[in-house]
Amino acid sequence: MSANRGDTVGIVGAGSFGTALAVALARAGRPVVLYTRTAAVAAAIASTRRCPRLPDVEVPTAVRVVTEPAALAASARFLVIAVTSTDVGPRLTELGAVVDGGHLIVHAVGALAAPDDVRVSELIERSTPVLRAGVLAGPALPPDLVSGRFASMVVASAFDEVLVEARRLLNLPPALRLYGSHDVVGVELASALAGAFTVALGLADGAAVGVGARAVLITRAVAESARLLEAAGGKARTFAGLAGLGNLLVRAGTEDDPDYALGRALARGEAIGTRTSEGARAALTALRLAERRRVRMPLLLGLGAVLAGKISVTEAARLAADTVAAEE
Amino acid sequence: MFRLLSRPLRLPAFLGPAPRPDDPQIFRFNGERGPIIADVVRRVVQHYAGQPQKLLYVLNEAANAEVRRLASQDDMEASDALGAWRRLVKRLGKMSEEERVQELRRICGDMTEDIAGNFDPRVYALATKIVPGVLTGIMRPVALPQVMLGGFRQLDELVTVEGPIEKLRRLARVGTLVLTPTHSSNLDSVALGFALMRENLPPVVYGAGKNLFSNPLISFFMHNLGAYRVDRRLRFELYKEILKEYSTVLLESGYHSLFFPGGTRCRSNVIEPSLKLGLLGTAVTAYGNAVATGGAHKPIYVVPATINYRLVLEAETLIEDYLAETGKSRYIITDDEFSRIGRIVEFLRKILAHEGAVVIRFGRPLDPLGHDVDDDGRSLDRQGRPIDLRGFFTGADGSHRVDEQRDAEYTRLLGRRLVAAFPRESVFHATTVVARAVFDELCAQVGTRDIYQLTRLPPGREVAVPDVVRRLGALRAALAARPEAGRLHHRVVAAGDSATLDDGLRALGGYHSHPVLTRAGDHLRIGDVKLLYYYQNRLAHLPVEKS
Repeated sequence: MSANRGDTVGIVGAGSFGTALAVALARAGRPVVLYTRTAAVAAAIASTRRCPRLPDVEVPTAVRVVTEPAALAASARFLVIAVTSTDVGPRLTELGAVVDGGHLIVHAVGALAAPDDVRVSELIERSTPVLRAGVLAGPALPPDLVSGRFASMVVASAFDEVLVEARRLLNLPPALRLYGSHDVVGVELASALAGAFTVALGLADGAAVGVGARAVLITRAVAESARLLEAAGGKARTFAGLAGLGNLLVRAGTEDDPDYALGRALARGEAIGTRTSEGARAALTALRLAERRRVRMPLLLGLGAVLAGKISVTEAARLAADTVAAEE
Repeated sequence: MFRLLSRPLRLPAFLGPAPRPDDPQIFRFNGERGPIIADVVRRVVQHYAGQPQKLLYVLNEAANAEVRRLASQDDMEASDALGAWRRLVKRLGKMSEEERVQELRRICGDMTEDIAGNFDPRVYALATKIVPGVLTGIMRPVALPQVMLGGFRQLDELVTVEGPIEKLRRLARVGTLVLTPTHSSNLDSVALGFALMRENLPPVVYGAGKNLFSNPLISFFMHNLGAYRVDRRLRFELYKEILKEYSTVLLESGYHSLFFPGGTRCRSNVIEPSLKLGLLGTAVTAYGNAVATGGAHKPIYVVPATINYRLVLEAETLIEDYLAETGKSRYIITDDEFSRIGRIVEFLRKILAHEGAVVIRFGRPLDPLGHDVDDDGRSLDRQGRPIDLRGFFTGADGSHRVDEQRDAEYTRLLGRRLVAAFPRESVFHATTVVARAVFDELCAQVGTRDIYQLTRLPPGREVAVPDVVRRLGALRAALAARPEAGRLHHRVVAAGDSATLDDGLRALGGYHSHPVLTRAGDHLRIGDVKLLYYYQNRLAHLPVEKS
């Protein structure tokens, strides 16, 4: 029996977040279609009910897995993009050929899109016919989603209809609650910057800077981010919400968070080589944005220099401390 | 007598010809005027009738606003209407809901009747066939023999039209056009009307400020050529709702329309960086309503356009108004150059001495959601794929869904596309580029671009001709490198920088009451820095050259 298309959630990307969201929705009896372009992943889920990116969790049979974007577009009006910033461009290009103006899209990409640093909502408008789009962000980690622990996210869109539909289809009380916002620019940048500063906090914690310095780091991250949000057309206070500070506080303490883990590895002096993360990419793109908008972000600048291998963690900490003391 | 003349004067209807099947929709307007007014009233009443609190609010707001406005007037309009509005204010609280609905219906009827335009094909024929010739003859007696032979070459030279004209003709046959030009002068609608006629594009309906109807001659033509009256003194919600509903009904009925999305004439002459979205939104609403009916409907095409003057008739008044920062409070200029026929004739006489005085450039047509459309009128997404607009108006169950917030957001998207199109489709005359080059040089000398500081400079400030010529060259290069910033007039393209300077000086030195610029040997003397600022503002979006 095919589910009502208007009540079905289509998820693009069988990564840890996309799979966890699909699992949580299916357990709540919501119709879900999960799209992965990797046939092996689809086959693994079909045969073992386990997703390679979230192997400890059983994927309910109610989660329908498809490998063709057209099948996804035909099955669901409301789509969630849950892929990385490096993948989002090609996935949206694929989707652009199969979706129409009746679809609604929200994305959960925590960085600006490669290769030209555009916000993903702009990329949706550029690559697909969809106009009713938004962003989903906040401290809802995959383990929380699949275990049913309380988690919250914010969905932002210029369209009230997107907020209403996102809350209708994704709210899973008492576990997952969605808040609404119209500040699309603010939420997208806050989400990206939270990832970037999660790397910075991983560095700080790895270097055992202490709780006082950690608090300073967090408050300066809030101040810097608020300036960038405002300069880019968002609301400064948005960073203090779920997408920014909420995200940062949860992720910067979760050992298996890729951004936090990268920061800690850098602090240990590990050679990261080509290893990167969404947060690291977000840091570099945010720095370019800050330069264009002429916003000073000394902490982010230090992080960028460490990621680029230009200075050591110790030097970055000293520079950041000096700049913060001189500036603020 | 004067008041009578400014009222809608019409020719007897029974003498008029019946419209032919291939005539544009507007030729049927007078036959449909009554039903259109009735439809507008019905919709507005329906909108408020189910909301008692809202109904009371809009009536209260309208009545109090009218009492305040009319009490400050001491004229016949006040003596006619003030008492009735005062009585309404007193009675409103005691009225039953049914009585309030009746009152709303009466007010809507009166206001819509006042707004609704008129179109008389005989006046249209007069305007299109005789007036251009007469005007040409008056202003250029030597051209009279040519006029007698039916040629309007003088006006042809005056108004040039660029853009995808053939595509517009095709789209006008299959859909409804909404022309959305920039707005610099009250002559805009006249120039545009002439251009549409000459290019064999259909005439349009448009909203004109009621103050423009104060001159009996202008009023007669405006009343009979599809203009509807917009009283900008009435700023209460009910009046705006009626205006928007009137425009929506016209678009749904297939009347090609003209909106100036920037609102009133641009005081500063900067290309409109932001738009008033109220009337523009009626294109989205009308399309959504048509989709809701489910049957075949005419598509709506929004056409960005720029009207580019070599000299602007009202430049002196507009820039004074802008600089006095009274643009907001003194919203309606009732006594500017446009209200004086003699000044218009003088203006036309002056600019006829120069070719290409007005360039109207149409941009790529868009659908009401801001998508490009192909030659057949199909909407295209940003990747150039054909898309069906109906999906954008559906809800989760796949059926049409009314959503004012969604439509307002679609209108904002459309507005952004228009704002991007305006500079790209602008054409810069010698007057603009010369003013910009001189202004840049002056600012570099003085060390500020603040116009208020510049106006305090001693009169007769001079800049060196070689410096200005060099800056003209730099401007030419900057525009060539940035197609999205607009294009030079073909005469500027063809001429060298020195010839362009001479051309610009001839115009800027000869029309306005003070010469804006005059040559003094190898220097240029700035006679009116405010007008210099006004003309150069057309290029304000182009970054200043780094020295």
